[in-house]
Amino acid sequence: MKAADFIYHRATGVAEALRYMEDYDGEARLLAGGQSLMPMLNMRLWRPAALIDINALSELAEVTAQGEETHLGALVRHATLETSPLIAARLPLLATMVRFIGDHQIRRRGTIGGSLVQGDPASEMPLGCLVLGAEINAVGPAGARMIAIEDFYDGAYATALEADELLTEIRFAVHPPHFAFHELCRRHNDFAVLSVAATGHFSADGGWHGLRIGLGGVNDRPVLAEASMALLEGSSLSDADIAAAGEAALGAIDPPSDIRGSAEYRAHLVPRYIAKALRDLRLSAQG
Amino acid sequence: MSAVAAQRSLIGASLPRKEDDRLLRGDGCFTDDVQSAHQLEMAVGRCPFPHAEIRGLDVSPALALAGVEHILTGADVRALSAPLTVLRPVPGAPELPYYALAGERAIHEGQPVVSVVATSRALAEDALELIDIDYEPLPHVTDTLQALAEDAPVLHPGVLDSNLLARHEDRAGVPEERMAEADIVVGERFRINRVTAMAMEGRGVVARWRPGARQLSVYASTQTPHLLRHQLAESLRLDEGCIRVAASDVGGGFGQKLGIYPEDLLAALHAMALGRPVKWIEDRLEYFRASTHAREAVFDFAIGARTDGEISAITNRYTTDLGAWNSSFGSAQLSSVVFTGPYKLADAVAERRVAVTNKTPIGAYRGYGQPEVNFAREVLIDRLARRLGLDALEFRERNMLRPEDLPWKTPSGAVYDSGDYVKTLRMAGEAVGYAAHRAAPRRADGDGRLKGIGFASFVERTGYASARFLANRGSIFGAHESVTLRANRSGDIDLYTGVSTFGQGSETAFAQICAEILAVDYESIHVHAGDTASSPLNTGAFASRTLIAAAGAIREAADELRGKALRIAAWVLETAPEALEVSGQVVRLRDDHSRSLALSDIFTRAIIGQGIPPEETPGLEASAHYAPDEAAFSFGTAAAVVAADPESGEFSVDRLVMVHDCGTAVNPLLVEGQVLGGLVQGLGAALSEDLIYDPDTGQLVSGSMLDYFMPTAADVPPIELLHSEIPSPVTSFGERGVGEVGTIPPAAALANALCDALSEFGVELSRLPLTPESVWRALKNAKGANP
Ligand SMILES: Cc1cc2nc3c(=O)[nH]c(=O)nc-3n(C[C@H](O)[C@H](O)[C@H](O)COP(=O)(O)OP(=O)(O)OC[C@H]3O[C@@H](n4cnc5c(N)ncnc54)[C@H](O)[C@@H]3O)c2cc1C
Repeated sequence: MKAADFIYHRATGVAEALRYMEDYDGEARLLAGGQSLMPMLNMRLWRPAALIDINALSELAEVTAQGEETHLGALVRHATLETSPLIAARLPLLATMVRFIGDHQIRRRGTIGGSLVQGDPASEMPLGCLVLGAEINAVGPAGARMIAIEDFYDGAYATALEADELLTEIRFAVHPPHFAFHELCRRHNDFAVLSVAATGHFSADGGWHGLRIGLGGVNDRPVLAEASMALLEGSSLSDADIAAAGEAALGAIDPPSDIRGSAEYRAHLVPRYIAKALRDLRLSAQG
Repeated sequence: MSAVAAQRSLIGASLPRKEDDRLLRGDGCFTDDVQSAHQLEMAVGRCPFPHAEIRGLDVSPALALAGVEHILTGADVRALSAPLTVLRPVPGAPELPYYALAGERAIHEGQPVVSVVATSRALAEDALELIDIDYEPLPHVTDTLQALAEDAPVLHPGVLDSNLLARHEDRAGVPEERMAEADIVVGERFRINRVTAMAMEGRGVVARWRPGARQLSVYASTQTPHLLRHQLAESLRLDEGCIRVAASDVGGGFGQKLGIYPEDLLAALHAMALGRPVKWIEDRLEYFRASTHAREAVFDFAIGARTDGEISAITNRYTTDLGAWNSSFGSAQLSSVVFTGPYKLADAVAERRVAVTNKTPIGAYRGYGQPEVNFAREVLIDRLARRLGLDALEFRERNMLRPEDLPWKTPSGAVYDSGDYVKTLRMAGEAVGYAAHRAAPRRADGDGRLKGIGFASFVERTGYASARFLANRGSIFGAHESVTLRANRSGDIDLYTGVSTFGQGSETAFAQICAEILAVDYESIHVHAGDTASSPLNTGAFASRTLIAAAGAIREAADELRGKALRIAAWVLETAPEALEVSGQVVRLRDDHSRSLALSDIFTRAIIGQGIPPEETPGLEASAHYAPDEAAFSFGTAAAVVAADPESGEFSVDRLVMVHDCGTAVNPLLVEGQVLGGLVQGLGAALSEDLIYDPDTGQLVSGSMLDYFMPTAADVPPIELLHSEIPSPVTSFGERGVGEVGTIPPAAALANALCDALSEFGVELSRLPLTPESVWRALKNAKGANP
């Protein structure tokens, strides 16, 4: 199918992009990598009055180290996360997870900002950002604001952004030393049936601290398994701890039944995938 | 043949494919590469409901849109054309009239209802949105068996009084009695998933009508240009002489591009109304509903045996899902032909029922009933072996036909020509280290996974057992292939064939055989494929039959051409034809190579009729038609090695080994490509692909690449191919067909491997696809049944 008619604008700066958005009064869409947007246009499921291409905004394509923090511009491509030495050193969880997104072609074009705004509940970047506790910078006619990733999603494919806001940057605090990621797909790098990302600190006393466990594909948005996290605080991640954490996570999920798997099967897998991730964490501390 | 010529045998050589240079350079010519001046584009409006009455339809707002040139409705199509015809009707079944656009009722989601031609595809789609169609949804049925229930809505009420289109039985001996006497009987209901072929190029057509010349030129992505021409003539009520169909490069066929589709006729009707070229390119989304689906069937399959392990009877009662209509090839028929596989038994019955449902029509797809029935039979063979406490390999071997049993007439009436089935079984067992696996204690690996090995053996029918056989089955095509060879003044040969090029490598194989017989260079054969204006009438490329039939035609035509060329050369060189040989680009005396004549010289003499013997007529070309007397039967065994998690049902396919025999391999490179491609399609259907209809809404819910889990290159497990090469006595060079074989055994081999891995839990699998979740459910059932 071919897209319905739309007007195309190429913005040369953030201010210009915002101005276009205002002109179309919420009826325009920003075009980043186009990997989610173009199929929706071609299927005529979205029919924006205009597309505002932000690919020329090179100021949004930067990866910068700001002291302890790492800032990613909204236009940073998946392929950059995959190959940048700075990301490998400072955000290794994202560098690991990004390889699970689609194919090379998609990772060349797709952007982290687009991925976050698209908000697929099984998507990798929203889950990675959640586990890393990222903060999102958005600008709109009223100026800029920071949104905690925990507050970013209202549901599947729905974010806290206003129709005239532009996501400019994602900010990350120091990355925890240990991390792990697992997902199940119906075929290579498909959208996940479910996914688990975990990070934590292992201290000299033999205990784990500040564990964060995030789950994708088992709710209308990525969620933290907070009960499991609390349970594991200070633990040694023994097999029994891990099993208990897996069970405790079931309270955090409300899995869908869809073509990729039933709710029942997803629920069955959650403790198992949590266990895989936690055993990896344990192993990484030993290594 | 001279010693030199004997050494240069091209048959059996892995020559590079003639097609590859242009394809790899992006220089192929697919349907969308055909661009004509003043070309318009067509878009088709499709019914969004599984079953609906069309109460009204207003095209006027669409016609008013600037750039919209023409619109056709169901009423127009009825006035201008006859229903689409069928190449392979279901024997004994009434015709189901199928017009290119729905009339008062549409009976599947995606059925064409209206078509628009405009200056661009986007504009044509805009116009479709302006067409107001008043649908009244009607009760629908999408489940194959429910369609046959008493209370199901009848979809073709004028023609049928239920949704059972046909019932047909093939039997031999007294299977029911043998079954009653058997010491043990295993039976199961198997459900085969609905899948689709997914060629890289969807369908497409460009039609152009020159009213003054009364010439309709049709470029189409088709496997059967001559048959499409015939079907277009029938539906358009036009003389065949007014129609030319050409298929240049076709981006994949797999059986899906056999015969006419509604869009072919619609493009022609628009072009004839407008006198302008009309193009339609199927997009991937409409492909899912507009191009035939395949495979879906329910098998009630049972095997009876004696305690000593001898199979005594097979009953195979199955229902194929036709979808809403009989497409050109209809639902698969070969599940009734090869259902007893490589096993020796006299008492068996296959009962085939064909059910009509509110879904996209089913058509041919690589294997055409053979993968389906192989799954049912081979899974049950393993289950029977387990029940009898016998080893799955030994049980198979014990019941297999031996080479000395062949030729063998099967209970279905098919005649297996030759082969060594046990050999392939043993080769597969050795390749995967089966004996060691059996002997080793069962232990989970570090990830808690258990290893399993499974086998599936098969015999595959390739080609057709004569035109008489086809006539009995009601087909309106023959079993032959044809070729025209024409010498040209450059000293090369132009080879014309109606077989279009869709990835199967026929240009290469044809050139190879032709070069071999003429003893000329492979490079000097120019293949011109798929154009009805230049090629002799033929059948087309399907049923793994092309090479089997074409090889005979090429041999005859090449012999004739060579004979005349040698007579002319002998006259010029003042010797006898027998004293001459062809070598590369010259004809020379066998015992005095210095006396030679360039082929270009001989060919030029013949073409212009100057300097040839007085008794010879001018011209140097030959055509031949050849029909093999019998079908050839390929055979083999596949083995799968898996590791399965007994708690989650997750599994990996660690190895897939395919041992197969396609007789003489004309080009091993092509053979390998065909087998691998088929295996990967077989894996997709076995493990992930599934066209699922929501029973409540009747909508296809996996109708896009997002939700239809076709494997990617990264999903393909390590595959090893092992060849046996026993020439078939019924074909020209001993070849057997190879185009479909890969699709046949993967599903059963994988299911058997999974059941082997999870044998301690008593897991049994009987539906496709085999997904982690379905294995998990089977585990739960088994654990529930044997706690
Ligand atoms: C075949 C295929 C497989 C894929 N597989 C996966 C997968 O496995 N996992 C996965 O996570 N994703 C997958 N994707 C999606 C991919 O990651 C997309 O790139 C991503 O979802 C969207 O990023 P984009 O830059 O392409 O955004 P676009 O498609 O350009 O935009 C997406 C949406 O975000 C909005 N938007 C974009 N940038 C901004 C911004 N800066 N501020 C405000 N709004 C913005 C757009 O207006 C639009 O609504 C796949 C895509 C394809 C085509």
